[in-house]
Amino acid sequence: MTEEINVVQQQEMVGEFLVGLAKSFGINGTAENVSADDDSFEVNLAGDDKELGLLIGPRGNHLVAIHEVSKTMLQRRQPGMNRARIRVDVGGYRSKRREALSAYVKELAQKVIESGVEKGLEPMNAADRKVVHDAANEVDGVGTISVGDEPRRRVVLVVASD
Amino acid sequence: MADQEGTTAEEVLLYLIAQLVEHPDQVELEIEESDTKLSLMAKVSSEDIGRVIGKRGRVANSIRTLVRAAAVKDGVEVEVDFSD
Repeated sequence: MTEEINVVQQQEMVGEFLVGLAKSFGINGTAENVSADDDSFEVNLAGDDKELGLLIGPRGNHLVAIHEVSKTMLQRRQPGMNRARIRVDVGGYRSKRREALSAYVKELAQKVIESGVEKGLEPMNAADRKVVHDAANEVDGVGTISVGDEPRRRVVLVVASD
Repeated sequence: MADQEGTTAEEVLLYLIAQLVEHPDQVELEIEESDTKLSLMAKVSSEDIGRVIGKRGRVANSIRTLVRAAAVKDGVEVEVDFSD
């Protein structure tokens, strides 16, 4: 075993990487550690919202690219090691989206309970589907199933059978 | 902007490559510039080219996305290529 780089150190590396990337764009930013556990962590790059928009991109496209290069940067620093799952955010874009999606799912869950009719959501990536499952699970009387194949896999809210 | 060392696109490209490669001392950047278009050719060591391109070109495409975003600040269109 070579020396293991722990989650906190990985989080710091990604934070420094993001601040440096912003700087290369001529943007001032600071890294915020949003969350960390044994096998995953999230770093947010905070700063001026107007400037950070360029790093988020249309529909979060630039943020997706930042996530990819962040992962690759960590892989170089510690090849072949068990790495934590990275989540990267800029200006709280992802967490705001998560909150909005979660609120929408809870509303929809209430409608499923009231009407007794299941409701399907649009196809989403795995990360967004997890948000849907988690939000629905907080509502009693509603369950979730996933249907379809990637990239059109989607969640359906159903009346819980128990 | 005459005193600026390079365009934002160049800065971002050089930063990303330096962060991704094992041999930053072997990175070279060839620049071709016209009024509206910037062509950047990044040369890295043969050991590093795989990492910079990534599976199915995913890393290279992510770098291109970010360098294009940076070029918005420069007011130019940019083309990015990689070689070893």
